[in-house]
Amino acid sequence: MAGSEDEEDYMSMDFSNIRTASLPETSLQRKQRLKREAEVRGRPKPKAELEAEEAAAREQALSTSLLETAAKKSKGLSMMKKMGFVAGKPLGAEDNAGARAEPIKPSLKEDRGGIGLDLERKRRLDEEVEKEGLAWKKVKVVDAGEFRDRVRKGRERERCERLVYAAQKTAVQMEEERDTERRTALNTAATTVGNNEEEAGVGGTKEKQNKRTLSTKPLKSINVLWRGLVRKREEAERDRRMRYDLQQSLSRLPTYEDDNEDEDDKQALGKTKTAYLPVEDLEEEDPDLDEFSALEPDEQLRRLVEYLRKEYRYCFWCKYTYPDEEMDGCPGLTEEDHD
Amino acid sequence: MSKGDRKRLSSEADDALPLKRVKKEDSDDATAISNNPYLAHLKQENDSANDYGLENLVENSALRGFTRRQSTAEQAAEAEDGDLNPFTGEPHSQQYFKILQTRRNLPVSKQRQEFLDMYHSTQILVFVGETGSGKTTQIPQYVVYDELPQLNKKLIACTQPRRVAAMSVAQRVADELDVKLGEEVGYSIRFEDRTSPKTVLKYMTDGMLLREAMHDHMMSRYSCIILDEAHERTLATDILMALLKQLANRRPDLKIIVMSATLDAQKFQKYFHDAPLLAVPGRTHPVQIYYTPEAEKDYVEGAIRTVLQIHATEDEGDILLFLTGEEEIEDTCRKISLEVDEMIREADCGPMRVYPLYGTLPPHQQQRIFDPAPGPLKKGGKPGRKCIVSTNIAETSLTIDGIVYVVDPGFSKQKIYNPRIRVESLLVSAISKASAQQRAGRAGRTKPGKCFRLYTEEAFKKELIEQTYPEILRSNLANTVLELKKLGVEDLVHFDLMDPPAPETMMRALEELNYLACLDDEGELTKLGELASEFPLDPSMAVMLISSPEFYCSNEMLSITALLSVPQVFVRPANKRREADEMKAMFKHPEGDHLTMLNVYHAFKGIQSRDGDAKKWCHEHYLSFRHLSSADNVRTQLKRIMETRGLELVSTPFEDKEYYSNIRRALVAGFFMQVAKKDGNGKIYRTMKDNNQAVMLHPSTVLTTDYDWVIYNEFVLTTKQYIRTVTGIRPEWLLEIAPVYYDAASWEGQPEVKRALKAAAERLKRRQAMRVSR
Repeated sequence: MAGSEDEEDYMSMDFSNIRTASLPETSLQRKQRLKREAEVRGRPKPKAELEAEEAAAREQALSTSLLETAAKKSKGLSMMKKMGFVAGKPLGAEDNAGARAEPIKPSLKEDRGGIGLDLERKRRLDEEVEKEGLAWKKVKVVDAGEFRDRVRKGRERERCERLVYAAQKTAVQMEEERDTERRTALNTAATTVGNNEEEAGVGGTKEKQNKRTLSTKPLKSINVLWRGLVRKREEAERDRRMRYDLQQSLSRLPTYEDDNEDEDDKQALGKTKTAYLPVEDLEEEDPDLDEFSALEPDEQLRRLVEYLRKEYRYCFWCKYTYPDEEMDGCPGLTEEDHD
Repeated sequence: MSKGDRKRLSSEADDALPLKRVKKEDSDDATAISNNPYLAHLKQENDSANDYGLENLVENSALRGFTRRQSTAEQAAEAEDGDLNPFTGEPHSQQYFKILQTRRNLPVSKQRQEFLDMYHSTQILVFVGETGSGKTTQIPQYVVYDELPQLNKKLIACTQPRRVAAMSVAQRVADELDVKLGEEVGYSIRFEDRTSPKTVLKYMTDGMLLREAMHDHMMSRYSCIILDEAHERTLATDILMALLKQLANRRPDLKIIVMSATLDAQKFQKYFHDAPLLAVPGRTHPVQIYYTPEAEKDYVEGAIRTVLQIHATEDEGDILLFLTGEEEIEDTCRKISLEVDEMIREADCGPMRVYPLYGTLPPHQQQRIFDPAPGPLKKGGKPGRKCIVSTNIAETSLTIDGIVYVVDPGFSKQKIYNPRIRVESLLVSAISKASAQQRAGRAGRTKPGKCFRLYTEEAFKKELIEQTYPEILRSNLANTVLELKKLGVEDLVHFDLMDPPAPETMMRALEELNYLACLDDEGELTKLGELASEFPLDPSMAVMLISSPEFYCSNEMLSITALLSVPQVFVRPANKRREADEMKAMFKHPEGDHLTMLNVYHAFKGIQSRDGDAKKWCHEHYLSFRHLSSADNVRTQLKRIMETRGLELVSTPFEDKEYYSNIRRALVAGFFMQVAKKDGNGKIYRTMKDNNQAVMLHPSTVLTTDYDWVIYNEFVLTTKQYIRTVTGIRPEWLLEIAPVYYDAASWEGQPEVKRALKAAAERLKRRQAMRVSR
């Protein structure tokens, strides 16, 4: 099943994603992006938006008492004061309890909805909310600025997720390379090798041929930073194998044990024990991974980048493995530093 | 005191001092009149009354045994039954006795003695009578028979909130008394006075009585003032109530009756120091009220549906539907007619005639609502009915018999003023509970009826306010404050109004009058203010008119003011919008709507002076003949005031290139507080100072020249805010004509306006310097 992994990745990835994921934005791209954003900001406002603004301005004016603001210098007010007006008291005879202190607020009727319709709509909405237990209580007024902000944030998040994926891939690769190095070093250093070394040797040759198989390591032993990636790969692999097994075994379930088959047969049919090991593993609860997945993608990315620097002296942004701890030449930890 | 006792007492009094008392009072009046400079007209009236020999007439007539303010219902009935008319001395006509019969059947007639007893015992009386009780026509007549105004030379006034009501009621009462309208019974409304020296009973608008009071603070012409339809709480009625409350102490001889149609009369009672109350039941039948199970999504659609359902399923009886405005009503009438036609074709339905009813409808069309409902289409078929689609004028003021079903969506158009944004606008608003009850009551005039409310009972209880806000709380008070100043009210803050306005409203009014130089900084009336109060106009328009001779265009400003005082002269029928717009374009002046209106008026006068058929011409040009004619009438009245006040009537020669700019400058003199400046390059304008609102020119405008600054006549408050009737102006004029309001140095409004004003000031200075150096 050589190359199946690559195919999988390729299919799941959007073409444009790869570029942004692997390359930092160039200054030219950035300029264009800023220009685009400025255009959106500077476009003439649509009527609905203008109306909403007007309504807001009117609302503001209607709810501000003149006696507190404009009237400080009003000649009208000073005339009234001469007649004995006291701010905060209504006009008219002393004993007139019903006198108004505030002007009547005009309410604009915009449609032909009958009396009580607004109230009824609101009540129905509340009922629905209660029934379905929806989190949102009120329909928010769609604000264009807010909408743009939301879309922008969504895009940033997606991009960040892709970067996390790329970093995880790098980390897996680095890890595998180091493992191989270690093993070869071990191989050369000590000729007496335990039984289990055989397997590693096989693995090593496989890696040299740039073939990947499922990791035999238990998932929990993999660093949580990229455990998610491995897990996903394993899940994909399992699904692929199960499909394959199903096709091969025809009427048999993949777990069917045929007494006539010996170990070699099993190996030939791809029914190795290890093939089912990850399946059990995959079904296990993994609170560590859940915790990591719950983090915001930018935090995940930050941890990955930090890890790569510490462990491999590799800067994810420079795409370069530095020879020493100082990482001389790398501008800094964050993407912005690399702009 | 029983009826018998009273009769005996009064007849004794009659025997003891026949007419003496009356004569004595008469002489008191004579001295009062000679001392009072305001009452020169009364003196004249006095003399002329003697010429007519009225006193002789009374002594020989059926009123002989009457003692003023001691008469009884029985005496009056006897006099009414007599052969000779006690007011004219002529024999009564046949018609008179016929009407008398129906009058005697009115609910109020049964309580005539009760009314007189109470009237005699108190100075102020609150009278409650539901519509149909006959109070508006009968009570003033009862007072006439009791006050003997022909003898004491004091009139009886009865105020009405609406001009039309004052006119039609006066006509009706003249018929009932068998006299000619304009003689013994007359009316007085803005721009029209139909009274004579013989007049004893005068129907008038409440605003008219207020104007009279400005010259006669004591209201000394009247012995009794009746405020009718007080429940409507118009601005003028509210002010009159406050004035009369004050005046009652200074004039113990003056009787005041406050009449209301609704049962919340306790408020009136309390206001008038717990005045006694007399209630007369209306002649009404029970009305079943139905609510909708849930709120309507579209109240117009719901209303149409309900009307059609009534027509299809309910028994005989006419329908009254309440909607909000002209356009909505016309539209609905069309839709209902179309649907009914289909119902007749498809189902076996009776015919239905649909009539619109609103204030600006021509009178002959308003009259059609009284046409009887159509008969069945064929013999033995389902009976026809009529459906009246009306604004809230059918709520109290117009009584239509035969209505059995009322459809009430619960809305009406109401004027609202808010001092914080300085905008007065007509807005569709929910009615009050009192209004809803009034509407329902219209279904029970002839037989038990049904009222369909297009809202839930819960909404009725929770969403509707108890009472409609009185007009004084919904109006710009600039005019009222000016009137009050002229009425001699010094302390506006503690003026005892039934519902005092919000302090901010008062503040704005004083401020506006100060900017218009009608009040000085101390709050005293200036000469200009004094003069402005003479005009039955808004202060800004009055000031504009008064200052127009300075701009050499007072003739033209008279025309424009008159045109702005009547409803829109341009007619734009829904199905002929394009044609109407094309015709309007013929009169178009690129610099603004005011000038376009002036062009229309000039063309109209041109046709009239050439003896053309102005009515036909108006029809062809999509103009309202009625409104143009009434503008013409208003102009004549205003011109008379100008002449009597010694204001010059001048015009710039039409050939002069300054002809139109002079007019535009004169407009600025009155409307400088209604200015908007263009905001950037778009279509958005912004109004000035603390009233900083984004507005657009109303689509009806003809203004095509690109002006950065415009004045407007009206601010239309909708979701899109419009300014209507606009004319372009130059910022320099604002500095020249309203330097205090537009003082750039102390400007605290929008900074860009301040910059523009400064730039204009610079230009102005430069130009002046050039002129000097030349």
